[in-house]
Amino acid sequence: MISILVSLVLVFILQLLFYSWWWIILVPLVIGFFEKDSLTKAAAGNGIGIFLLWFGMSLYQWGNGSEVIAGRIAEVMGANSGFILAFATGIIGFVVAAMAGYAGFSLRKVLIKEYQIT
Amino acid sequence: MRIVKTVLAFGILLILFMLLNNSQGSIPPLGKFLNPFAGFWQNGAQLDRIDEVIDVKGLRAEVKVVWDERQVPHIFAENNYDAYFAQGFLTARHRLWQMEFQTHVAAGRVSEIVGSKAIEFDKRQRRRGLLMAAEQTINVMNEDPETHLVLQAYANGVNTWIDKLTPATLPLEYKLLNYEPEVWSTLKTALLLKFMAWDLTGRNSEMDLSIIRSAMGEDFVKRYYPDDTPRMDPVIPAAKPWRFEPLLTEEVPSPFEPQFLRALRKGEPDKDNGSNNWAVSGKKTHSGFPILANDPHLGLKLPSIWYEIQLNTPDMNVYGVSMPGAPAVIIGFNDSIAWGLTNAGSDVMDWFEIEFKDKNYTEYRYMDEWIKSDLRIEEIQVKGEKTVLDTFAITRFGPVVYFGEHQMENGHPVGLAMRWSAHDPSNEMSAIRGMNLAGDLESFFAALDQFNAPGQNFAFAAKDGDIAIRHNGKYPLRAQDQGKFVRAGRDTTGEWRQWIPKDQLPVITNPWRGFVSSANQNPVGKQYPYYMGWEYDDYERGSRINDQLKLMDNVGFNEMQKLHMDNFNKQAQLMLPFLIRQLEKNNLTDIENEILDDLNQWAYVSDPDQKAAWVYRQWWIHLEHAIWDDELTLFGEPRKIPTRSVTAQLLFKNRNLIYYDNIDTPEKENRQAIINQAFQQTLTDLTEEFGPYGEAWELGRARGTNINHLLSVNGLGRTGLYTGGGRGVVNATKKTHGPSWRMIVELGETPTARCIYPGGQSGNPGSVFYDNAVDDWVKGNYYSIYFLTSPIILEDSKLSLTSLRNYQ
Repeated sequence: MISILVSLVLVFILQLLFYSWWWIILVPLVIGFFEKDSLTKAAAGNGIGIFLLWFGMSLYQWGNGSEVIAGRIAEVMGANSGFILAFATGIIGFVVAAMAGYAGFSLRKVLIKEYQIT
Repeated sequence: MRIVKTVLAFGILLILFMLLNNSQGSIPPLGKFLNPFAGFWQNGAQLDRIDEVIDVKGLRAEVKVVWDERQVPHIFAENNYDAYFAQGFLTARHRLWQMEFQTHVAAGRVSEIVGSKAIEFDKRQRRRGLLMAAEQTINVMNEDPETHLVLQAYANGVNTWIDKLTPATLPLEYKLLNYEPEVWSTLKTALLLKFMAWDLTGRNSEMDLSIIRSAMGEDFVKRYYPDDTPRMDPVIPAAKPWRFEPLLTEEVPSPFEPQFLRALRKGEPDKDNGSNNWAVSGKKTHSGFPILANDPHLGLKLPSIWYEIQLNTPDMNVYGVSMPGAPAVIIGFNDSIAWGLTNAGSDVMDWFEIEFKDKNYTEYRYMDEWIKSDLRIEEIQVKGEKTVLDTFAITRFGPVVYFGEHQMENGHPVGLAMRWSAHDPSNEMSAIRGMNLAGDLESFFAALDQFNAPGQNFAFAAKDGDIAIRHNGKYPLRAQDQGKFVRAGRDTTGEWRQWIPKDQLPVITNPWRGFVSSANQNPVGKQYPYYMGWEYDDYERGSRINDQLKLMDNVGFNEMQKLHMDNFNKQAQLMLPFLIRQLEKNNLTDIENEILDDLNQWAYVSDPDQKAAWVYRQWWIHLEHAIWDDELTLFGEPRKIPTRSVTAQLLFKNRNLIYYDNIDTPEKENRQAIINQAFQQTLTDLTEEFGPYGEAWELGRARGTNINHLLSVNGLGRTGLYTGGGRGVVNATKKTHGPSWRMIVELGETPTARCIYPGGQSGNPGSVFYDNAVDDWVKGNYYSIYFLTSPIILEDSKLSLTSLRNYQ
């Protein structure tokens, strides 16, 4: 699905440049808005894209020096391991991005109905 | 319907945003915190990497930094400004959060970070006047151009580092607590110095003693809280004659009974804050040059209290530990001399009961007149809540720390004011820098003349052969026992008017016995003409160190390391055989007999694998409770009990004593009964806590040591460390407290040193250098120090080089 790739790449670039976490809301919202086909694609596409980005980036950090800190934070948060924490990071990304994609898609549908946007 | 769904979707999205963007109680904002691009994932060992060249705006010339394999920076600068600038820059690189957080603690600004749970702490902290003291001190420091330059250079360095931070490289704790660093100022350094003074001298027992005297009588206090601890082997040998004409002190003020009997002492520094230091003359060393050793005992935390550093300029080459947040080296050595500190323990804090005219606290009685107090309104900002205002009053006796429900018979409310020597402005920074530069005893003592607070025993050794120790500080001239009890702040009696002249302070240089030492014990014998206080540490550590040093000859590093790690328990040696003799052995169970056998065979060495060490310690504590708890729990609070050696003496001398009797039971207990009961209670308690007698009762397991994170966050500390030592033992390692820096320096043409502290250079919990020295510290290992004379390094060495350059 194209939206997986688009959300992943766009958010990756924006976060590298500007750090803020809420790009994973803003970008999927916009992508969801322009998703014409289906609600599932808007929500799941963005969700999976951001899941892959956040899980992947966490794993990358984990393998490049953050193993110790991930283990410590896992202990602080009651998780078993840094790997589980990376997965949880991905899941949070998924939930937020999917919800944003869904909201963007829904907004478009409302506007199409009201203002006949095509 | 579609609109409803859309609104609902945006509503949920908004809630998700709010939840993940803001802290929820103690949970960090998860969106920010887990963000792999800027959250905690970025705080790994990747931050340990140091570039070969760093662009540092504000430097006057290039600074070269050699890093050793423990990431100790060895700074080579062409001028003082750059040296301290680089120190600030690099310390902030490793410890920014810690240094800023400690200044928030000192200034009573913790509520800004953690919310309303710290309001009471902040109020108390502000009423103690640390901020006021720091403000006065910084004014004095700024008047001295050289001190001003040092402080400002350091602050500029810190701020240059702060400017370089990105959301990704912000220290972990800022992310956990969801806030950002503010600009560093020279005032923050002054605050840290005052905080250190508070930690080391911010505690005494005047209120307790006034309460005890009121309840138990004058004789009780005289007998059980004596000015001279039994068996004391003072810092300056008691036989030393004092050849000066002492100043006259006033008459002892008549006893005063305060209204403030219920005062609770809250949030005082740890009573175990203390240390060992000694210097051995070249006559007793293998090399013929003096050796100096020091281990300050403080609360053990991560990030560590100390930051190791070398500073080299054309007129200075000094190595040692600094306090993150303050320039220069506090404990260390240079080409010519070495010095180490222990807490002096002399009384520099007096409490005065103030009679206010009314609850506005604007006027108080002094010399039968109403004098205006200086009211200060403190704004305590609270994270996520409204700002809290607190008013506190400053009197000529110092800030009023405690306001209570108490009032005089005439209805006037009372408060307790704190007169503390560290409230007075002084320039310790200049003194510390003077020590860093000193080349001999004379210049070192000249530097000490400026060091007022906290009072410390400064041990000294020099390449030219001199050794010395000075009980240094700004000490009020007191009548005997003045300051032992709360005084009335209503007239001139008990006011501080004169000080012990610096040239009359307790000091000894090059004693015939070939060494000097201190371990927080009484500084002087009875011949010294001034009364300086009474709450010194018990005799055991000091006496053990002196016993060992007397025996030593032809010593080197190994003997000094062995003495640092000495686990011999003098108190157990004194008491245990006596306690065992009092035990009724007829009805003991098999397990009790086994424990008794182990106690009998124990050589009084508190090694981590010793079960007997822990059983004895608990037995003694139970015994102290059995004797004193019933009498000395007054107004609902346990009050200060007599020292170990006083209690020991009382037990030796008295078979029957009214204090042995537990007033809460119908039986009449005697010495033997309470010793046996304490033994049984110890075994019951330990079995309950650690299971059947076995491995879990070993000192290293049952007690061990925990080095917690400054915020006490689980997972960020190191717990369950297998350590020996203990209270009254030279290796004064305890559960959360102990030797925070072990340093041994042998002077010579080039000084050599071995050191360690329980932590690491980095304050980042994700760094390799966060706690890399902890295991070696537990084992009693040391690191050999690189004392470099130039930044030139060999290709195959373990050192690396960074160049700090200003490209502007």
